[in-house]
Amino acid sequence: MSAPSEGTLRAVTTFVAAFGIGVATYIALAESGGGAPACLAGGGGCETVAESQYSDLAGINVAVIGIVGYVLLLLTSLLPGDGARMGGFALSLAGFGFSLYLTYLELFVIEAICQWCVISAILMTILFGLNAFRMLHYTGRPQ
Amino acid sequence: MSAKKDREKRREERLQRESEAAENARRQRLIKLGSAAVFLAIVAVVVAVVVSQSGTSGGDTELENVAEVETGLANIPQHRLTLGLPTAKVKLVEFGDLQCPVCRDFAVKVLPELIQNKVRSGDARIEFRNFPILGPESIEAAPAAIAAGEQNRGWDFIELFYKNQGIEQTGYVTEEFLTSIAKGAKVVDIPRWNRDRRSAAAKNEVKRTTGEAERLGFGGTPSFAIEGPGTNGLEPLGTLGSLGEFEEAIDAAA
Repeated sequence: MSAPSEGTLRAVTTFVAAFGIGVATYIALAESGGGAPACLAGGGGCETVAESQYSDLAGINVAVIGIVGYVLLLLTSLLPGDGARMGGFALSLAGFGFSLYLTYLELFVIEAICQWCVISAILMTILFGLNAFRMLHYTGRPQ
Repeated sequence: MSAKKDREKRREERLQRESEAAENARRQRLIKLGSAAVFLAIVAVVVAVVVSQSGTSGGDTELENVAEVETGLANIPQHRLTLGLPTAKVKLVEFGDLQCPVCRDFAVKVLPELIQNKVRSGDARIEFRNFPILGPESIEAAPAAIAAGEQNRGWDFIELFYKNQGIEQTGYVTEEFLTSIAKGAKVVDIPRWNRDRRSAAAKNEVKRTTGEAERLGFGGTPSFAIEGPGTNGLEPLGTLGSLGEFEEAIDAAA
């Protein structure tokens, strides 16, 4: 089976990043009024996570940081060349690492799981895989 | 004929060398860019984690929010670990762990308004019961709150602890830390507080409230229960989130 073309990888990355923007925007809007996203299975996990001291980073809501990250990843998927390949890989690796940290906080510190945060972590993992593949296979190759 | 074959062979070899050189150059570029990307990503994540944790450092004997705690609880009666008028019809019970960051968030984000709206008005009183589930440091801290309660400074102790809380199980719950909280909470007789917190009675009380929380089916902190004319004894509420939910529960129990 041959590797997917860079065009296909970029198209899928664009789609996943756009979905991520939607998820992060929903979380940010839900938390903007002091509330929390609606946990589909109930249980109050989303509220507990939203109210925790870790929901802000230097005074900025973590979901807003997520929106910025997904927008930048979307831009790198739309741009050709090694700069965009490297940028996408670096951003998605940072996003993946930060998602791992946030998941650790949910599981072992806050002791509550927010499904929307899990969805975002999964999207970031997929974006990391796509960008790593693009970087490894297409860096130094013609666009 | 043989000259033509030689030329073709040389051409193929040249093409192969060029292809290998291009692949090598690509590999070098990949290594250079990849290393830079990995470096940048690691720096970004480390900075984010450090910033995230810096807001939660706490655990210091240089206490913060001493005046804020004192003002927030001023003129509200305290008896042991109960805050509010003894005549209040509704009793809200918090099963908490002093090391628990979610309990701290409740204390910082919900409790001040709840005290203002329901405790100062005499509608409800709040009782703190220890449910130390996070580890040995929680078990060490719990009797210290009970001992402060023996001098009716329990809520000052609890509130001040939450507002200076460190990262759980990092060794910050030391003798010095607990003593600084007790002094900040204006526990007057520190030698008595020391005796009380080391007493079998305080330790047994922690065991009793822990058992009670388990019997009520609680597995995490903070968990809440409520008792009033509208309830059938002490009824578990579980984990509540917003101020509105607490106020509704108190109104329903009244």
